[in-house]
Amino acid sequence: MNKRTSVFDGLIGNNTVLSSLMVISPVIMCGDTLKNAMAIIYAFSAITFISVIAGSFVPRKLPYAVRIIIYTIISSLVFIPVKFAAQQFFPQVINRIGIYFMLLAVNSLIIVQTEAKFYRMKRGKMIFSLIFYIFGFDAVILIVSFLRELIAHGTIYDRVVDIDTLISGFGLPFGGFIFLGLMCGLYRKIRSVSRHENTGGDSNVSDD
Amino acid sequence: MFLMTEIIVLLTSNLILTQALGTSTLFIAAGNRKNLLGTAFTITLFTMAGSAAAYFISNALPGSAKDFILLFYALSVGILYILFLIVLYFFNKKVFRNAKKYIHLSAFNCAVMGTLFTITNKAEENPQLNNIGSFIIAGIEAGIGFILVSLILMSAYKRLNSKDVPSAFRGFPAMLIYLGIISMAIYALT
Repeated sequence: MNKRTSVFDGLIGNNTVLSSLMVISPVIMCGDTLKNAMAIIYAFSAITFISVIAGSFVPRKLPYAVRIIIYTIISSLVFIPVKFAAQQFFPQVINRIGIYFMLLAVNSLIIVQTEAKFYRMKRGKMIFSLIFYIFGFDAVILIVSFLRELIAHGTIYDRVVDIDTLISGFGLPFGGFIFLGLMCGLYRKIRSVSRHENTGGDSNVSDD
Repeated sequence: MFLMTEIIVLLTSNLILTQALGTSTLFIAAGNRKNLLGTAFTITLFTMAGSAAAYFISNALPGSAKDFILLFYALSVGILYILFLIVLYFFNKKVFRNAKKYIHLSAFNCAVMGTLFTITNKAEENPQLNNIGSFIIAGIEAGIGFILVSLILMSAYKRLNSKDVPSAFRGFPAMLIYLGIISMAIYALT
């Protein structure tokens, strides 16, 4: 099995949401309309990118526990200007997203993946890898919110679409859980098939 | 009957099933079944102590500094995290060595921070809840809710990971759908 890691892993091969189920709360709760998704994408991308890059300058000599606290403090500080900007760009959406906007500052990519993955790479590779992990999240929330908005509300970016059957439950939290579960299964199936083909029918291909 | 009513109340106000708070932590912990309950209990400690800290912070911060509330909550959880590590070190060094790399998962996550923000918002809407007792009780309730969902997940863990489930859906996807169905049932109760 090919264990080589690529900077593109975060986009497809090891997607933040679909593979590791990280940062799924905003996808489940806020990923029901494209407008919400745009605000989440902006905040998540800005907070995560700046925080992880800034956190990489924290001395490795410091104890692990102290480093984790510093990462959280950095992301909490980054959140403040990001929120001010968001109030200008997405004034109505920010209130709708509520606490999930703030919780992006303690997302698993910052708290878990920094020490486990990003800070073990050289800085250049880390930046590219981080960008693709962020794109991976952005792509998933965009697809999920597009489909959920269409199925649950019969709209696309608040514009009414001529659709006969609506399933309003998909706009609710339980719909988010179920929809994400289905997407996760589909993603794993596609990944498994593509790996199977790439390895020339290797029967040892496993799902996480 | 009283116990049933209490369990239903806990489920209907459950932060995971109704607000998806702490779901990622739940799934990270669910990677190891033994860790799941331990993580849930540790989260309860953090939600309880963190809620007490949140009461003092939210009341001490002036209105103009509300944008810094996340920073102060993160600092308070950081202090609690260090205190927890110190207590664990003196309590049992072996457990400390094994657990020190994972405890931050129980401290810095959406379950703990989300609880603090939810309680603070409720207290702002209803001033009667703005007292230390209500904050701590809400923190304990949130933690117990997390334990309850962990138990629900653990009870189905074997089946959701069994060979009867199609390989693409085995594990995490099946757990997500399972939680979705439980969440739907809770939604019907409310």
